[in-house]
Amino acid sequence: MASSALFTLENPTEEHHMLRQMVRGFTRDVVEPQAEEFNRRAEFNRALFKQCAELGLLGLTVPAEDGGAGMDLLGAVLVHHELSRSDPGFTLGYLAHAILFVNNFYHAANAEQRARFLPGVLDGTRIGCMGMTEPGVGTDVMGMGTTAVRDGSDYVLNGQKALITNAPEADIFLIYAKLDGRMTTFVLERDFEGLSTPGKTPKMGMRASSLGEVIMENCRVPAANLLGEEGGGLVHMMRNLEAERLTLSAMSLGIADRCIEIMIQYAHERQAFGRSITQLGQIQRYIAESYAQTEAARALIYTVARDCGPGKRNRIGTDAAKLFAAPVGKQVADNAMQVLGGWGYCDEFKVERFLRDAKLLEIGGGTLEAHQKNLTKDLVKARAQ
Amino acid sequence: MKILVALKRVADPDNANKVKIPADGSTIDTAGLEFKPNPFDEYALETALRLTEDGTKPKVRDGEVIVVTFGPADTESTLRAALATGADRAIRVDANDDQLDGLLVAKGLKTLVAEEKPDIVLMGKQAVDGDTNQVGQALAELLDWPMATFAATIEEQEDGLVVGREVDGGVLELSIKYPAVVTVDLRIVSPSSVYSTKTDRSFKYNEGVRFSPLPAIMQARRKPLDTKSLADLVDDTGLKINYLRFEAPPARLAGVKVADAAELVDKLKNEAKVL
Repeated sequence: MASSALFTLENPTEEHHMLRQMVRGFTRDVVEPQAEEFNRRAEFNRALFKQCAELGLLGLTVPAEDGGAGMDLLGAVLVHHELSRSDPGFTLGYLAHAILFVNNFYHAANAEQRARFLPGVLDGTRIGCMGMTEPGVGTDVMGMGTTAVRDGSDYVLNGQKALITNAPEADIFLIYAKLDGRMTTFVLERDFEGLSTPGKTPKMGMRASSLGEVIMENCRVPAANLLGEEGGGLVHMMRNLEAERLTLSAMSLGIADRCIEIMIQYAHERQAFGRSITQLGQIQRYIAESYAQTEAARALIYTVARDCGPGKRNRIGTDAAKLFAAPVGKQVADNAMQVLGGWGYCDEFKVERFLRDAKLLEIGGGTLEAHQKNLTKDLVKARAQ
Repeated sequence: MKILVALKRVADPDNANKVKIPADGSTIDTAGLEFKPNPFDEYALETALRLTEDGTKPKVRDGEVIVVTFGPADTESTLRAALATGADRAIRVDANDDQLDGLLVAKGLKTLVAEEKPDIVLMGKQAVDGDTNQVGQALAELLDWPMATFAATIEEQEDGLVVGREVDGGVLELSIKYPAVVTVDLRIVSPSSVYSTKTDRSFKYNEGVRFSPLPAIMQARRKPLDTKSLADLVDDTGLKINYLRFEAPPARLAGVKVADAAELVDKLKNEAKVL
């Protein structure tokens, strides 16, 4: 029916192809021109976020009958992939909203909660974030110190979340806390008494999104804001981590794609010893290995994305995708800097920003070590059965 | 307001696979090409959408926009992309590229116009592959309708359009009555180029063509897409234009460095013979 050139691993259907064309055009015309300025100012671009809402990108995994676009996880992967070719920092803020808040919230919420909260987060008037990590608790998430206790028909939360993307400007917070020792999910709103977000945490890269703490001091949360059931938090967390890992992997892929473009163009134009530096074996190794690693990451990420979604859990695949892709993004950005030499170290050629951004993906949404731990545990368990 | 927009797909110049010409020059080898809509036709679609809306409410269509293309089954991707952008329905006239020339397309469009009775037929001033620039003009002649070509601005009036066309030293304004054929140039997608009677003159569009919102992409498949055969529209499907031979432009030669302005002038005068 359709030409084979259109329907590839990256674009399994015509809708994916059209979505990619749209996001690629949006990235080239709208995202790219603002990236340098907002990253230098370390500011999240609210107007750009609003434009994402107008294009229907904030609810891309929410079904159409609930006001979203009804796209699958592969669609979410391709959006993060394309946006990260220009602005991984903004993309991370977008991810914290669209995947960590909206996607997570949607699958855990009841009909009343969807009706109450979805319109504001889909039209971009409210920014969402998700609070899991704490100052002393990362990979060891079950050691979480934030607690919830029942008080009449309400819950009272106490604790501190740290390293939370979007926290400084968030209007709505999906927070994990322990209730009777069991992980439970709550929706907190900016004006809740006892909730505060003291300032931005400065960071190495991803500067077009903000990072900060969420502090809850006797923060009273009405029972209507309990998400799912008491003790249901672990299921929400693990289900959503798969979407998070894949979209983060896709960001590494976007970084690698862009850095390869930049290094090829530069190497093609740059002369040394009387010839193009593409004639030099040492440069050839950077370009060729970057390309091969990136293609391997692409094949893994999109293969797993086809085999994962709300109805199909795939923890092994998503852990493997991020464990492989995150170091590729960083390595390819570093290779690009090496090919560009001194110019690569300067802002103008952008690879120094991509290299700083790429490092986060070896840490956020699961450290490399967390992926190694999970994979080994799951692989041994599968073999032992 | 009912608008028929004629769209053609062309080889994507950004794709790694380029148009190839076999050694005997008998044809153009399209194997492995990726296609995109002809940019001027995309501008025509954007123009049609601007003419059928209040610019502040682009989700509400006041009128109907029908897109049509002539081509094989895989050109339906081009039509569905147009449906995702905002067109209401689509028609594909089944034909292979080598069975078509400008006059034949114009004749096919004439029959479609008789069936659909649009107020305006819009299309790009030319396709960027063959650059023939004749379908709009031929269609207006066949229909005996007023025509405005190379439109840079369009303003909707009660009974027609005021079309601006860039000429040396200024803009020529034409007033045309419905029904009419209009072909558009690149300036038509500037922020203040097109105004329907619903859109306030202070409103500014984004530069260029609009992006297809994701929900519209997901719904594009549900919009009607009809297929017709070329023979149903045109009695004589014989070609009036025969291509005799194709050849690639000569490869660009490497440049030379000149020592000074005098040598440059000498070369321009005696070698290039342009002075």
